[in-house]
Amino acid sequence: MTSLQVRGVRKHYGETQALRGLSLDALAGEVLGIAGPNGAGKSTFVRILGGEETPDVGEILLDGVPWSVADRRRSVAIVHQEPQLFPNLTVTENLLLKSGRDGPFRPRATGRELQVLSELNLRRVADRPLESCSLVVWQLTEIGRALLRDARVFLFDEPNSALTDQESEQLFGHILRMKEQTNRIVIIVSHRLPELVRYCDRVAVVREGACGAILMGSSLTEEGLARELVVGQEAGASAAGKPGAPGTGPDDAVLLRLTGWTHRLRRFRDVEVDMRPGEILTIMGVEGSGARELLQSIAGLEPAHGIREVVGRRDAQAVDAFLAYVPADRRTGLFPNFSIAANLAARLGAPAVATWWGRLLTARLYAIGRQLMAQFQIKARSPGQPVGTLSGGNQQKVSVGSASAKKPRIVVIEEPTRGVDLGTKVEIYHQLRQFAHEGNAVLAFCTEVPEVFDLGQRVRVMSAGRLSGSFEVAAARNVQDLAGQLAKMTIPG
Amino acid sequence: MQASRLNILRGIFLRRLSGLIAAIVVTMIVFTTINGFFLTPLNLIGLLRSMSTFTIVAFGETLVLVSGEIDLSVGATYGLAAMSFGLLWMHGTPFVVALAAGLLVGVLIGLLNAWITTVVRVPSFITTLGMLSLVQGVTFLVSNSQSINPPSKLPGYGVFGALGGLEFPFGIPIQIAWLAAVAAIIGFVLHGTLFGFRLAAIGGNPQAARVAALPIRRYKLWVFAIAGACAALAGILDFSFIGSTTPSAGANLTFPVFAAVIIGGASLSGGRGTIVGTLIGAFFLSLLSNGLSLLGVGAFAQLIFVGLVTIGAVALDRWTTVWGGQTQSIQV
Repeated sequence: MTSLQVRGVRKHYGETQALRGLSLDALAGEVLGIAGPNGAGKSTFVRILGGEETPDVGEILLDGVPWSVADRRRSVAIVHQEPQLFPNLTVTENLLLKSGRDGPFRPRATGRELQVLSELNLRRVADRPLESCSLVVWQLTEIGRALLRDARVFLFDEPNSALTDQESEQLFGHILRMKEQTNRIVIIVSHRLPELVRYCDRVAVVREGACGAILMGSSLTEEGLARELVVGQEAGASAAGKPGAPGTGPDDAVLLRLTGWTHRLRRFRDVEVDMRPGEILTIMGVEGSGARELLQSIAGLEPAHGIREVVGRRDAQAVDAFLAYVPADRRTGLFPNFSIAANLAARLGAPAVATWWGRLLTARLYAIGRQLMAQFQIKARSPGQPVGTLSGGNQQKVSVGSASAKKPRIVVIEEPTRGVDLGTKVEIYHQLRQFAHEGNAVLAFCTEVPEVFDLGQRVRVMSAGRLSGSFEVAAARNVQDLAGQLAKMTIPG
Repeated sequence: MQASRLNILRGIFLRRLSGLIAAIVVTMIVFTTINGFFLTPLNLIGLLRSMSTFTIVAFGETLVLVSGEIDLSVGATYGLAAMSFGLLWMHGTPFVVALAAGLLVGVLIGLLNAWITTVVRVPSFITTLGMLSLVQGVTFLVSNSQSINPPSKLPGYGVFGALGGLEFPFGIPIQIAWLAAVAAIIGFVLHGTLFGFRLAAIGGNPQAARVAALPIRRYKLWVFAIAGACAALAGILDFSFIGSTTPSAGANLTFPVFAAVIIGGASLSGGRGTIVGTLIGAFFLSLLSNGLSLLGVGAFAQLIFVGLVTIGAVALDRWTTVWGGQTQSIQV
């Protein structure tokens, strides 16, 4: 029976230790799950296993024999949520396209390919261009390609985050069937606790670059996993820095109210939200839960219908005037051709940085830039420096700072601290709490429990497009307790 | 405040244009040593005059490129604006009305380009490529594919002749004044106004511009309209200078306009470009043609040479950017 052993793998990038001695075992005939918070080293592990990177120290053995990079590249199949395939070619043509197949003629499917197509139930769509097929067909095609080159390890990286429920059932059906073969290792890397519990025989929790725990049998529950995922994640930013309960602001008006708010493609539906001055609400959800679309729709960037009241008004101008949205990805929030100061002031107009007839006031623009750089502690030589020369954390501060520049009443922010260092996290949490404390509101989308614990007063969970009731973060004793509570939170309907 | 503004200017100047200016100086030295006539005021004024109209078109194009779009139809717009102005005038429309109508044709073509690009969402490359052929067709149709040659007894002919043909003291042609005026206006719009600032933002990262709720559609409408107006103005100026216009006028404009803008440092992917850059790019291009003509290089060899220089200038720019090891930020 095939077995895969990962022994003491270490890998560093610059000063960051991505993996600190990761060890894992996987056996044929089981599905091994891998879970872990962002930045725990999961993606580094995936890249090393796939032969895209070499570890600094440590080895990977197949059936007890050290496995070379070249072999891994050929025999490890990594199925991503959006596989890198050829959308303009048909499913069959995608299967036929591989190196080592020579000859002057257009290749045709032979016995082996047809067998794989039937095995994966792809015969019906075999001659359709991939771009007209659903995502699950892409993933099955990727699996088919791996089967044809006799891959030994199948690793699914967040496979169903963009799939509908029905499609994921279909995909996991195939995954479960794959484990019946004795010469194949099947691994699922996922954020989604229900799927990990339902389909995996064992789940390894990766924390800070090493295997922190392995859950199996009766200890493999959603709540247990949620608790394991946050061990050691108590950031220094939590309760200490929190200003006292803001309670009600000077004006008790509702800043944001959503009633029956539904996405046009039903990524979320019938969402009710009610936010008052001083309030921080975090929405917790995994990829594909609809939480991202919800935040974007509030800012008018995704189509939705229902009632959206911003500071008592329902028109789009009110959104422009009172609400600022910060995207998760800095690349969609910043202007790479601009300096730091210009980025910070990019959302402003007359009279802040221009005269009534439109003359740009460069000096004021720089003054605002300098002031925000000081407020957000953005470390740079000068405000005129290109924004691309900043570190990721400082870029994130610019992104948040540019939203706060126009003095909104509500900040809608996706993953406030994705991919930034601890110091920056603390700083951004502080700024957001301060902003709420001044009588404004913050609506944040988070994927990690510690972030909810550090930031939120109230948290609600989004899953499959429905928003749960709310939970007071202060009622949780610690991060682990909160993680457990959130895992239990049920969804109405 | 003054210091920061100076720094910006110096940054633009040093990073992007110093190489270009060095190339211009070297080229001038070479041409002068071979032919003494090259560096005379007479020749240089002639050179500036010959570049002025296509550079005016290039200024409008610079705005379009900064906004992240492209306008391939400016050459055709140049031709149709001159032709429609001339035809209206010759058929009895008062001079001023006909002139305004000619300019309006340019603005309308620009607005149509913008509408198709931003509302119908056909990429501007395709929209304006189609518009290029469409407008050329209209020009041939309305002119019956005949050149027009307004008789000098037509009311308003004096003003018409002066528009592009007047000479100021010291033999300075009015076209150079037009060039300076348009450069000053568009330069201010691009570098001194909120409009120009936001335009560079929209071109630099359209997604971020959406997030920041900038008025993308409205700004692009303006930009295409300005580009159309610039092309129309240039067409009418050349019509006045030559005294006649042909249905195919402007057909050869696409290359020098884009070469000037690109050599001047504007980026085809948007967000980058300066009026000074375009001006110097246009100057370099005209310098080469002028100098090569003086050296007696044939017209065909000139085409080959100018083509090579255009590619080489951008390639050189890429290399120096890579060597410099940093992305260039020239806006504000």
